[in-house]
Amino acid sequence: MGAELAIHTQALTKTYGDTVAVDGLDLEVPQGLVYGFLGPNGSGKSTAIRIMLDLIRPTSGTATVLGLNPRNNPVALRRRLGYLPGDFTVDGRQTSLELLTYLADLRGGIQARRINVLADQLSLDLHRPIRNLSRGNRQKVGLIQAVMHEPELLILDEPTSGLDPLLQHEFAAMMRQVASEGRTAFVSSHVMGEVQQIADNVAIIRDGRIATVGHVKELRRQSTRTVTAQLNGPGQREDFADLPGVTNLRIVDGQLTCRLTGPPDQLIKALASYEVASLTIDEPDLEELLFQYYEPSDSHD
Amino acid sequence: MSSNTITKGLRDNRRSTMVWTAAISAVGGLYSALWPTIDGPGFQQAIDSYPEGLLEALNYQDIATPAGYLTSSVYGLIAAVLMLIYASSAGARCIAGDEQAGTLDLIAAHPITRTQLGLQRFGAAALNTILTSVFFFTVMIALRSPAQLTEISVTDFAAMHLHLTLFALMFGAIAYAAGAATGSRGLALAAGAIVAVLGYLANGLLPMVDGLESVNELSPFNWLVGGQPLHNGAQISGLITMTVITGLLLAAGTWAFNQRDLTV
Repeated sequence: MGAELAIHTQALTKTYGDTVAVDGLDLEVPQGLVYGFLGPNGSGKSTAIRIMLDLIRPTSGTATVLGLNPRNNPVALRRRLGYLPGDFTVDGRQTSLELLTYLADLRGGIQARRINVLADQLSLDLHRPIRNLSRGNRQKVGLIQAVMHEPELLILDEPTSGLDPLLQHEFAAMMRQVASEGRTAFVSSHVMGEVQQIADNVAIIRDGRIATVGHVKELRRQSTRTVTAQLNGPGQREDFADLPGVTNLRIVDGQLTCRLTGPPDQLIKALASYEVASLTIDEPDLEELLFQYYEPSDSHD
Repeated sequence: MSSNTITKGLRDNRRSTMVWTAAISAVGGLYSALWPTIDGPGFQQAIDSYPEGLLEALNYQDIATPAGYLTSSVYGLIAAVLMLIYASSAGARCIAGDEQAGTLDLIAAHPITRTQLGLQRFGAAALNTILTSVFFFTVMIALRSPAQLTEISVTDFAAMHLHLTLFALMFGAIAYAAGAATGSRGLALAAGAIVAVLGYLANGLLPMVDGLESVNELSPFNWLVGGQPLHNGAQISGLITMTVITGLLLAAGTWAFNQRDLTV
């Protein structure tokens, strides 16, 4: 069982009338990793995830999760999963403790101590009605219910939305812990920056199809970013124009802006001959990354 | 483990159950308490002066007796309507209500089959409905002597409440099934309301149309009060009809719930 994939979809397709939500998705998620599932809103992430949990059924193709077909073995499968829905909505009249106790009971019971430890770790007050909690605190309740039974596979749909940076950090630590224990986390997001902090590998989905699959570091290295440098004194265009990976170069009043693909090494070295007042290299933009990898869909294999 | 969803259902709906129970019992009790003031020769004369057709349409034929009065005003009308609204909304909430509120996804992603989830939630709604009817029953029994209703035996009151409970559960099952099949709370409630309105017409007005004399046999209101349980005790055919329909609706609704996609 060890060599099995945590998630394996083959030509997975889901259509709603004329709308194709998931379009022949082929995904292989190995066990023991934090795996990012990256794509813009409406790209089919949640639809694919809901098929994996048998909340909806595929139009065609197959999904195999922990070696099981969700359609045939939903209960056995869900017992081994933790799931955070993209939109974590619960009845607000109950307290977090009431909800978590009920969900724990559905799983056959979980030590109350475990819930308390997680609540402490995320500093969540379990005794307040959920409707009185902030969005971030609600998301904590969602995270706790997904991880409290220490499942083999976590499927988290946009888990970090609404979490402040401190908690994102805490969350990243939780994910590293999961992977270090040989468990798997499948984490969707529409923000590259969130995924790159936690994921080793990433699949990028667009229009219901895999646009590219790779290591996060590699993807970042190959991606295009915007560089802005403020120079003290005028810059010579020819010092930068021919550098590898530099495009869209503009130098106005000592302010240099350009697009950079690949490592910044050469650009930095060219800048070193100037007095640089400030330098920013923007995070790679997901949309651009997608555009890059999506355009000729078979040239990046 | 299997009882958790039922317990949770009872807990989550305890306030609404208490409010509805109080309201239904209060209305029923109020009508009962009015009986001594209505009962008298003047009332019978007033009734006699109404056209026969109107009395039939309103099911008021027997209204000058305690059993007839309570059947026409309470069990065949106001309590029946309140109970069916209460049970329909509880039935609609089992699946469709939570689905539209967005809270069903999380539960359905836990190790529980859709059949268990649906039926256990209906079980909680059914228990609440039974509790409401039982409480209402005890109020009526407490008022039986003071309101001069002793002509009706306790057994017949019990039979009437058995009919009322199954009547309400059937409407709960209609809303449950429509909601389970479609995921729409509005459709679930509409299904209950449509059956209620058609059933009411079929029991009163429609049989007066030539050729539709026996249409009342298809009316839930006929299964509820047609055999006059307050006079004649439990009416087996009505009870069986309502039980069978409830069972079929639960089976069909749960089956449809298993086949379809959950909406977000």
